[in-house]
Amino acid sequence: MSQARGSGGVPRSATADRAAPVRQTEPMAAARVLDARGLVKRYKRATAVAGVSLAVGAGERVALLGANGAGKTTTLLMLLGAIIPDAGSVTVLGHTLPGARSRALEGVGFAAGYLPLPDRLRVREVLAYFANLHGIAEPGPAIEVGLKRFRIAHLGDAMASELSSGQRTLVGIIKATLHRPRLLVLDEPTASLDPEVAHRVRMGLERTCEEDGSALLVTSHNMTDVERICERVVFLSHGLVVADGPPAAVASQFGRANLEEVFLHLASEETI
Amino acid sequence: MAATLDLLRVRAVIRRQALSQLRAPQRWFDVLVWPMVDTVIWGSIGLFVDQQGGAGRAGAAYMLSGILLMHVMYQANVSMSCGFLDETWSRNLVNLMVSPLREVELLAGLMVVSAARLVAGLGMVALAAWVLFAFNVTTAGWGLIPVIAVLMFVGWTIALLVMALVLRFGNGAEILCWGLLLVIVALSGAFYPVHAMPGLLQPLGRLLPSTYAFEAARVLLDGKPMPWRLVAEGAAGVAVAVPLATAVLWRTLHLFRSRGYITRYS
Repeated sequence: MSQARGSGGVPRSATADRAAPVRQTEPMAAARVLDARGLVKRYKRATAVAGVSLAVGAGERVALLGANGAGKTTTLLMLLGAIIPDAGSVTVLGHTLPGARSRALEGVGFAAGYLPLPDRLRVREVLAYFANLHGIAEPGPAIEVGLKRFRIAHLGDAMASELSSGQRTLVGIIKATLHRPRLLVLDEPTASLDPEVAHRVRMGLERTCEEDGSALLVTSHNMTDVERICERVVFLSHGLVVADGPPAAVASQFGRANLEEVFLHLASEETI
Repeated sequence: MAATLDLLRVRAVIRRQALSQLRAPQRWFDVLVWPMVDTVIWGSIGLFVDQQGGAGRAGAAYMLSGILLMHVMYQANVSMSCGFLDETWSRNLVNLMVSPLREVELLAGLMVVSAARLVAGLGMVALAAWVLFAFNVTTAGWGLIPVIAVLMFVGWTIALLVMALVLRFGNGAEILCWGLLLVIVALSGAFYPVHAMPGLLQPLGRLLPSTYAFEAARVLLDGKPMPWRLVAEGAAGVAVAVPLATAVLWRTLHLFRSRGYITRYS
C-alpha cells in the first residue's frame, strides 16, 4: 500500500487522498499522554493497521472510529502493549512500550464492553482486585465513589457473573477509573446497552473526565455518543487514519452533515 | 522482563485465586477427592501384590509413597496451570495484559496458591493412607522434604510449559496440563525403579529430575541413610529445567504479543 506523510505526520493512502486527514488539534508534545507513531500490524492474511500515528493530549477526549475491520481494536491493543507492532513506536505517559509496559499502564485504565469480568468474584472483589493491580492498597473508598457515580451501589455484593451485560459494562468502567487514570481507554463501552444505561455511561464518563482530569480514548459505533462525549475524532479505514479533527470539521471535510454519514460513507468502502 | 515484584499485586493475585478456589466446588475435587481415589486404587494394588507374597518387599508402601509424591507434582502443576487457565476461560487475560501486572508477579501469586493447595492435597493422601492402609508417611523421615521440594519444582516446570503451549496454540492445548504430567510420571518411575521400564525408555527417564526424587524416596522407605547424591541429581535437574521452561514461556509470550494472539480472548 503506497503511503505518504500528511501535514500532521499521519500516513495517507488512496482513501485518505479523497479526504486528507489534516490534523487540526495536535497536542503539545509535553502535554501528550499518548504518542503513537507509524504503527503497523500485519496478520497472516491481512494488514490490520497500515501506519497509524495518533497523539492524545492530557484531558483530551478522542474517539477512534471506523467500520468493523478498520483496525480499531488492533490499534488499541498495540497502544496498551498487548500486541507488539511490526513497526512504529508507542509512548504512554512518557514511558516507551513494550519495555516500560507496567510503569506506563499504572496510569492507564481500560475497559471493553465485550469483555466479561473474572469468574467467582463479587463486584467489590473484582474492583478491589484491579485497584490493587493499579497500586491502590486500600481501595474501599474509591470503590464506593465509583459505584455511586455509575449508580450501581446496590450491586456491590453481587456475583460479577450474575450481572446483566449493561451492569457488567458499568462495573468494567468503574474498574478502569478507580485509580484516577491519566488516560482512560474504552473499547465499545456502549455496545448493546439500552439507552438508559448508555446515558448513565456517558454521564459517568463525563464526570470522571472532569473530576479526575483523565484523557479519554474511546472506540464506538454510536456516533451520537461520540458527538456528545468527544471533542476530537480519528477515523480509521483500511488500517489508516483518514480523518482527524473536531467532529463538525471532519463531517464537513467529507461533505457530510454529521459523523453518522461519514461513518456510513467510509464503512461502504471497508471489506470485512 | 522486569525482575522486581510488587507485593501488592502479588497479594491481589493470591486473593483472587484463593477466592476462586474456595467458591468452585469442582476445584475441591482435585484437592480432596482425587487424592483419596488414587490412594485407594494404588494402595489396594500394592496390598494385593503383597498378599501374593512374590515381591517379598513392601509393595503397598512403595505404591502409597509413589502416589503421595506423584501428588506433589500433580498439585503443583494442576493448581498453577489451572490458575492461569482460569484467566483464559473467563476471558480475563485481556484485562490482565493491559494492567500493570507483570508476568513474574502473576507467576509468583500462582506459585503461592499452588504451594498451599499442595499442602492440602498431600495432607489428604497422607490421611487416607494412614486411615485406610495404616501407612504412616512420616516413617520415611525428614528426608522426604527435599524430595518433595524437587518434585514441586518439577510440577511448576510442567505448569510453565503448559502455559506456554496454551499461549501458543490456544485453549485446545489445555489437555496437556494432565497429559504432560502423566507422561512425566510414567517416565520418572513413580511406582517402580527405572530399570523396570522398557530399555528404550530408560534413558528418557534418567533425564528427568523427578526420577532421582522418586528413587530417593524408595531408598528412604527401605530405611537406608539419606541418599544425598540422588537428591543432588534431582536438584541439579530442576536447576536446569526451571530456567529452561521459563525461557520457553517468555519466548512464547513474546510470540503471543507479536502475533496478536490476544485477540483470541477479546
